[in-house]
Amino acid sequence: MLQTTPAASQSAEPPKPILQLVGIRKSFGAFTAVDTIDLDVREGEFLTIVGPSGSGKTTLLRMLAGMDTPSEGNITLHGQLINDVPPNKRPTCLVFQSLALFPHKSVGENIAFPLKVKGVDAAARKARALELMRVVRLPENYFDKNVMKCSGGERQRVALARALAYDPEVLFFDEPLSAIDYKLKKTLEKELKDLHRETGKTFIYITHSLEEAMVMSDRIGVMRAGRIVQIGTPEEIYGAPVDRFVCEFVGEVNTLKVKRGPDGAWQGVDVPGRFTLAPPRDGKTLDEAFVVVRPEFMRILGPDESADNRLEGVVYNEYSLGSRIQYQVRVGAKVMLVELSRGRALPASADRKVTLGWDAADAFTLES
Amino acid sequence: MGHKRTNAAIWTWTLFVLVAIYLPIVCGALASFNKSRYFGFPIKTYSTEWWQKTLDSIEIGMIVKTSISIALLVTVFSVVIATFGALAFARYEWKGRKLYQKLILLPIFFPQPVLGLAMLLGFNAVGIQTSWMTAVFAHMIWIVPVVTLVIAIQVYGFDPSLEEAAYDLGCSRTQVFREVTLPLLWPGIWSGMLFAFLLSWSNFPLSLYTTGADSTIPEWLYAKMVAGYTPMVPALGTMATLGAACLLLAGGLIGLLLRRRAAA
Repeated sequence: MLQTTPAASQSAEPPKPILQLVGIRKSFGAFTAVDTIDLDVREGEFLTIVGPSGSGKTTLLRMLAGMDTPSEGNITLHGQLINDVPPNKRPTCLVFQSLALFPHKSVGENIAFPLKVKGVDAAARKARALELMRVVRLPENYFDKNVMKCSGGERQRVALARALAYDPEVLFFDEPLSAIDYKLKKTLEKELKDLHRETGKTFIYITHSLEEAMVMSDRIGVMRAGRIVQIGTPEEIYGAPVDRFVCEFVGEVNTLKVKRGPDGAWQGVDVPGRFTLAPPRDGKTLDEAFVVVRPEFMRILGPDESADNRLEGVVYNEYSLGSRIQYQVRVGAKVMLVELSRGRALPASADRKVTLGWDAADAFTLES
Repeated sequence: MGHKRTNAAIWTWTLFVLVAIYLPIVCGALASFNKSRYFGFPIKTYSTEWWQKTLDSIEIGMIVKTSISIALLVTVFSVVIATFGALAFARYEWKGRKLYQKLILLPIFFPQPVLGLAMLLGFNAVGIQTSWMTAVFAHMIWIVPVVTLVIAIQVYGFDPSLEEAAYDLGCSRTQVFREVTLPLLWPGIWSGMLFAFLLSWSNFPLSLYTTGADSTIPEWLYAKMVAGYTPMVPALGTMATLGAACLLLAGGLIGLLLRRRAAA
């Protein structure tokens, strides 16, 4: 018996773009905040744009939400040009970094606000607001509560419920979790992901935390200086970063500069030695490159262990990361990071000379 | 020991300041209850005679009506102008805003007698007959900047993303103003209204030049001090002060109640 699962049908026919950005630029005077972005947002996906502050991600989001107009380029929603459509006429809704909850309204009034604006009668408004409060896991008796008396996590839920009350096709999030403590943030991230699945709406999320992006997203776009430098699934971003910037954005990494010696072999620039490296992406031929090794792929070699590449160093610091331990190892003038699981921790000893090693397949050879 | 001395010094100074502020008002009140026509301590006979005469006087009735009319009109006009002025002052980025911020506050620092004289000359030059209505305009020159500043403080205190959020959630520009901007600015607007009323109520120099044949309470008090003193002068002065104090108290209470209700 043949039955197509939803997943199979999805892979057979890629979801069509709901939002399309073509050549989007935004300048403020001489400063270009967003520099020629082309992007297709698939219907129903959870897309996260990550980048450091000043990379232009908030400007990009504000253009999508209609609060800024692009200087150049086109934004289309379902194929229709929406460059100049104001936010109140777009089927999109933004959850602000500050959440922007109305302090003079109760939880219930906040959530029912978009319905009030639409002219829905009071009874229907309340019913819908209570329904949404269940969806975002807010207790029913919060309906009349002063929104300013809610905790940080509760406010997040109110903001989310209010956005859903508008019933947008696309929801935007501008780092709403940035001011939340770590543990609650983890919970809310997972809830947001669940909510995305339950509602089937398109979510576009902006953050400077790649960790946050990794947990929630179907796809991640990494932004730098107004451009999207890489876009792909979390696995692609983690497993095949296009450059050093993306690599370093993913977490702490070891970076070594290398160049081709006269014999064509790779030689260290800031540490001595010859290295065996994986070929660079796209089969490029390079004379200079950066080797990037994640701390969890850097090993401390025992006497009878071997690896493609070796470095001699001295451990001078160690940090507990909970389940893992991070060692700082001085190799010449460079400091290398090694992360070992707690079970494989180094024995404490005064003289901690170690041999570091990594395999070519576990590292990236990048152009810049 | 040193701590005790500091405390004593603080209390003495505080008491001195309070006495300096309130003793004259108490003196005025006492003078109004003096039975004899001319003021002098100690008061020999107390009486409410002058209060009664003040309340019965038709002339004073008209003067109070003039003062109230001016203050009410100044309040209404100033608050409307100042609310939008404050949004331009504190909320929006626009070319020339810095200059506007300076120019709008300048009249506060003009010497009021000079401002009053200038206004009188101005009204004459364009051929406007001065009356209590021209005084409304003159008061506003000085009071609108003050109220703008009071409301601007409230504008600075609210997150502009609230307006953007309302707009994003489907509001028209008018709905944003009605649903978000106005309710959030309300405490500032309320303070601004009290300021406007009380500053107009007690203004003397601008009124002196610009009311023409009409007269306000401060003007009448001055005129009677110069010629024709009776204890009706301190009586009306005390009434005007009490009236202002009651308004302030009531205003404060309403403000408090509104905040309580909002916080419930």
